[in-house]
Amino acid sequence: MPEPIRTILEKHSREPDELIPILQDVQKEYGYISAESVKGISKYLRISENTIYGVSSFYAQFRFTEPGRHSVKVCLGTACHVRGGATLLEMLERGLGVHCGETTEDKRFGLERVACLGCCALSPVVQIDKEIFSRMTVNRLTEQLKEYE
Amino acid sequence: MTREKKLKVTIDSRELEVRPNTTILQAARESDVYIPSLCTLEHLPSYGACRLCIVEVDGLRGYPTSCTTPVEEGMVIRTDTSELRSLRQEILKLLLSEHPASCLFCEEHDECKEFQGTIRKVGVTTGCRYCPNDARCELQEITEKVGLTETSYPVYYRGFPVEKYDPFYDRDYNLCILCGRCVRVCNSVRLNGTLSFKQRGKLTTIGPAFDRTHLEAGCEFCGACVSVCPTGVLSTKVSKWYGKPDSQVATTCVYCPVGCRLELQLKNNEVIDALPDYDSPVDQGLLCVKGRFAIPEYILSPERLGTPSRLTPVGYEVISWDQAIDEAAGRLRGTKPEESLVVVSPQLSNEDLFVAQQFTRQVLGSDSMISSVMVDLGNDLVPFLELAAGGSTFDTIEGARGILTVGFDSTYGYSPVGTRIKKAAQEGALLVTLGACDSNLDMLSETAFQMDHSRWAEFLGVLADYQARGGGKGKLKARKEWTDDIERISRAFSDSSTNILVVGPEAIFSRARREVFEKARVLRDKLGWKIIIAHPYTNLLGMLAMGAFPGVKPGECLREGTSVTLSFPLIDLTKRKKVVYFIGEGRFDMLPDCDYLIYQNGLPPATSRQPDLILPASLFTESSGTTTNGEGRVLKIEKATEPFMDAKSDWWILSRIAEKMNKGKLKYKDVAGVQTVIKRQVKGFYDSRRRIGFARINAEETTKWLKGAPNQEWEGSGAGKNPSYRGIPLARVVAGMKVVDEWVNTSLLSEKEAR
Ligand code: SF4
Ligand code: SF4
Ligand code: SF4
Ligand code: SF4
Ligand code: FES
Ligand code: FES
Repeated sequence: MPEPIRTILEKHSREPDELIPILQDVQKEYGYISAESVKGISKYLRISENTIYGVSSFYAQFRFTEPGRHSVKVCLGTACHVRGGATLLEMLERGLGVHCGETTEDKRFGLERVACLGCCALSPVVQIDKEIFSRMTVNRLTEQLKEYE
Repeated sequence: MTREKKLKVTIDSRELEVRPNTTILQAARESDVYIPSLCTLEHLPSYGACRLCIVEVDGLRGYPTSCTTPVEEGMVIRTDTSELRSLRQEILKLLLSEHPASCLFCEEHDECKEFQGTIRKVGVTTGCRYCPNDARCELQEITEKVGLTETSYPVYYRGFPVEKYDPFYDRDYNLCILCGRCVRVCNSVRLNGTLSFKQRGKLTTIGPAFDRTHLEAGCEFCGACVSVCPTGVLSTKVSKWYGKPDSQVATTCVYCPVGCRLELQLKNNEVIDALPDYDSPVDQGLLCVKGRFAIPEYILSPERLGTPSRLTPVGYEVISWDQAIDEAAGRLRGTKPEESLVVVSPQLSNEDLFVAQQFTRQVLGSDSMISSVMVDLGNDLVPFLELAAGGSTFDTIEGARGILTVGFDSTYGYSPVGTRIKKAAQEGALLVTLGACDSNLDMLSETAFQMDHSRWAEFLGVLADYQARGGGKGKLKARKEWTDDIERISRAFSDSSTNILVVGPEAIFSRARREVFEKARVLRDKLGWKIIIAHPYTNLLGMLAMGAFPGVKPGECLREGTSVTLSFPLIDLTKRKKVVYFIGEGRFDMLPDCDYLIYQNGLPPATSRQPDLILPASLFTESSGTTTNGEGRVLKIEKATEPFMDAKSDWWILSRIAEKMNKGKLKYKDVAGVQTVIKRQVKGFYDSRRRIGFARINAEETTKWLKGAPNQEWEGSGAGKNPSYRGIPLARVVAGMKVVDEWVNTSLLSEKEAR
């Protein structure tokens, strides 16, 4: 077991009730919950990996893929959807070679979808890290992505 | 059970007396009042998911679900008011809004079944009469009972791809109503935890973590989820299109010494499926993959031997039974005792084994009778038999406070034992596992020790030593890296009133087994531990009782309270034999050079040495008898179907050859005749009230009796690991078992590499 996860586990007792607090700590430490972590938690709490996954996937707060260095969020709220959000997402999925919710192999981008970023007037909207890009087009998005390492 | 005071309740204006500590639903059922229910099931914790079982209870607000509400004295309950009826219809409609409903509401419904007069209205994936569950579907039944004949909601088809990539069963989650039965049975009954709900809301699905396959997720393929699913989501690959079985026959699984009870499902005189019996005391319905899924494909294998045949220079010639008996008798007549060898399988019934030893002794006048267990265990056989005959019952696990397993894993076998161990651990017993690689029990163990086989005996020795000296006193003599751990667990074990040691196949087939057996004996005799030996030789105790070992007479080992010394005559496999007779055995690594080979079995051997005479034998679903399980219980094997083509029972074939040779007293016409003779020679054997008890086998005295044994494949994928029946690996004829075997072997390999 890698050291940090062991340290996290040892802060908690071996009771099943500790599952959520442990998951929260793991996510805080690593930014996501890896298969390795799930295995470690399973041995520690004596709950199957599948049950842990089931429980944690119930809560939207947990993620199971390593986040990329940059997060790309495509808005698929009604307004953005109608004005081409889905096309943008499709293009990104193809261009980056990942599905929504995954991270590119070089860990450069993590791709996600969101429901309404609250600026529908500017749709379609894409958020890269903290920055919002409005009236996005496929071409502009392609250009924009080149700016990130 | 103690007599409890009954409660008086009123259900639908009937005054009834019901048992206390039950739910309203149970009470109603026991009083023959029907309440529709989908998610609840006997043996499973209640869950309250489907809400179909709602009732009205005076004084309770709303509509409580009867499967989760306990009955109380004086309750006035209504189960069938018009409000309830329309509410239930509404609930069911909502439930069906994500379920392809064509098979439920099509107006051709009734005619279609009989005449198939209409063009199919829906595709295979969306149901209609093409759902494998059709005509045996609980959802169909409930829909009818609730009286729903149409739905006003549009049906949303979720469009999940059907999951077919795992062995044994397919999964079509488009049909899932999220009743959670499969999740509960996998988690609370099997204590396995492969299945769980994932995501939530509309996205909810069921399955293992990270989109793993069931194989990767540690599924045992016990099929419990398949059995409890009320819809067609989960279906057995082999039998899904057979439809509803015609009948069922209760029998005993002979694939291993647990002896699980099976409900064989029959259709058109064929065994198409095998289901568990949750009320069986031996196994509690906790079948492993072999009993649950590996029977029909074996029995119905296209390779089955169906007619006697004889090897000629131009290949096999089909002959009649008369000719075959003549041929066998002719060959055996005049062979000197030392020129013949009989090989029996430990997976034969008691009756077959008894007749086989009579045949060897009375007809051939010989005692050269060997079996796979003898060859596998070689000169460690006697200490092994001593432990196996002095083993404990499986239910001792329930009362044990300390459990130590050595080289034991119950993923694909011995699951009734493994699951009980898990349950005990979950309820607070100390569980410690010792092995060379991961075990499925590690998850629930206090400590999982991983070390090479060569150190297991030493580990047990240190433990025994420490305990014998009463714990803490004196210094612990052990390797440095063990001291802390051993001290801790020894203390826990010495505080415990009952300890059990479970010795698994990994230990039985390891180079260091002799020492492990010895230490096990010390733990048992000096420290009062109970022992369970999880070996693969189904009817081993039957062999001992029936005298199907050379030098062991029928009944000789059964005198409880006495002791016996087993002295096997020397058997020399390096000497060429005139005739070798394989009875229900297909393992040719035991075959010495011979002039003539008689092969009596259900499936052909996989070997280049062609048998000279093939006698097709019936299998355990095709003839009656009994088998002795690892606890010494004599269990019934029930004939479920006629034998395949011309196949005959082993005892029948042996009796006919004996008659032809005019030797011995084997004139059996039916299995009852065999049993009468067994009763006379082996006192109390069929006394079903008690287990058979064995004399103490003298393990000190061990002569070398076997010469020229085949080379053992130590620590490999040897005999214990890839399960077989009558010497034929299940993986050869059962597609799913092949997948499982490959998986086991590759994961062992990768673990080894990782180390
Ligand atoms: S699960 Fe039952 S109700 Fe659903 S399609 Fe299959 S047979 Fe019909
Ligand atoms: S087959 Fe058994 S272990 Fe596998 S998912 Fe179903 S219930 Fe669980
Ligand atoms: S797969 Fe079957 S048992 Fe499991 S939740 Fe769905 S309908 Fe219920
Ligand atoms: S545990 Fe043994 S007896 Fe039970 S089903 Fe499996 S192989 Fe058959
Ligand atoms: S829908 Fe995209 S910002 Fe509102
Ligand atoms: S049976 Fe009671 S809620 Fe499903």
